[in-house]
Amino acid sequence: MSHSLHRNGTEENLQNDYTFYARASRWVNREGCGPKLRKILEIILSEKPVNFGSSQAGKNAKAGLDPAEYAKTLDKAYGVACCFSDKKSIKSALVKLKEADTGISIVTGGLIDEIVAIAEEIGIKPHTAFLSLGIHGKKALLPEAQVLEMTTMCGHGLVSFKLSKAVIKKVQSGEMSPEEGATLLAQPCPCGIFNSDRCEALLQQCQKKE
Amino acid sequence: MKIDPEKCISCLECIDYCPMKCILEGEEATYMDQDECVECGVCLRAAVCPTEAIYMPEEAFQYPRSIRREFSDPAVQYPTLKQGGRGTEEMKTNDVTGRYRRGEYGMALEFGRPGTGTRISEIEKVLKVLLKMDVEVEKSNPVFLLLKDEATGEMKPEVLNEKVLSAILEFKITENQLEDAVNTLRPVLAEVDTVVSWGLATRFASDGTLPVRSRLAQIGLPARPNAKINMGMGRPIVEA
Repeated sequence: MSHSLHRNGTEENLQNDYTFYARASRWVNREGCGPKLRKILEIILSEKPVNFGSSQAGKNAKAGLDPAEYAKTLDKAYGVACCFSDKKSIKSALVKLKEADTGISIVTGGLIDEIVAIAEEIGIKPHTAFLSLGIHGKKALLPEAQVLEMTTMCGHGLVSFKLSKAVIKKVQSGEMSPEEGATLLAQPCPCGIFNSDRCEALLQQCQKKE
Repeated sequence: MKIDPEKCISCLECIDYCPMKCILEGEEATYMDQDECVECGVCLRAAVCPTEAIYMPEEAFQYPRSIRREFSDPAVQYPTLKQGGRGTEEMKTNDVTGRYRRGEYGMALEFGRPGTGTRISEIEKVLKVLLKMDVEVEKSNPVFLLLKDEATGEMKPEVLNEKVLSAILEFKITENQLEDAVNTLRPVLAEVDTVVSWGLATRFASDGTLPVRSRLAQIGLPARPNAKINMGMGRPIVEA
């Protein structure tokens, strides 16, 4: 699943949007990985992610997932997911993870040049990149860019175009604040990689366009 | 998913949550278009129904309809693979598996993404072409559980019309095959009745660069500025 890839947006509005995923491999180090995943969770929570969660836990922080409840699920899981809104936090989390040396694979999503620069600053060598080559096929099925910028923050496709459009409309009419809208749109994505800070900023832009 | 017409009060609170736009307003009650529903469970998990009229019916667990949940609800694990999502680790663990090495590119075609869903028949169209190409198709991917004929890419007839939120075809090529693969696949992808998000996995060069970015730009398929990056913190690491 390439769930944190293919986030739509401009270079400008993709700044300060960092996804994080720790993943144990089915073939290499999944057996008994629970304690290591809990250590990773402890580290990322110390850096105040915008959101976190998992499919196993069934919901994300914005939908009320309690960190202790999340930690309990990790014996039957194989990953930890979250997102950050600032470079300082993701960088600090990576420094702590380097020190912890859990051996679990760490994947960070964001602007390529920024992530590579962070890695260089903290003395780690990125191994593999997964590049997005865009959307192909019947693009007439897609909504306008501002909707896609929000919905593609859930790579599993659980945030509907319709909900995004409805929220944009409510924000523009003043029925809902950008913050309320972003929190609502974050709910359906259990993985917790939906960046509600970025969504709030995008909704503020929609407000200005009105 | 289904809505119990006896309980539904037609408040329409659920209607915007459906990624497939398949919750419809009826005369007596709101209902789900069963042909379009991918059993992702979003409407149920949203917990917005004041009368708890939304439920997962028994038929959602029965084959072939059961594949809808497996490919649409990330909490559901593929029984044979013991993992959920779309059932693949792709490059997330490449630092410890060495699945994609220098000199190779991994490719992933994700059908139905973003947000449109796909019929299995659309995946079959491309898989039949892929299997004729000189590429290494990833057979541990759950799509392969749906095949009738692994040599031709023909899917089991009963799954062709099943609709899922998304599914991925993964394959591996050598660096030298990039242009040929892109030129072969582009016209095929242009003809499918869904959208496809295309991804390419590549090792960083020893100097820390990604040479494929300029190659992709040259062939008119530029990579987006944002990506997923495996930070090389897995152990034991595969360096090759």
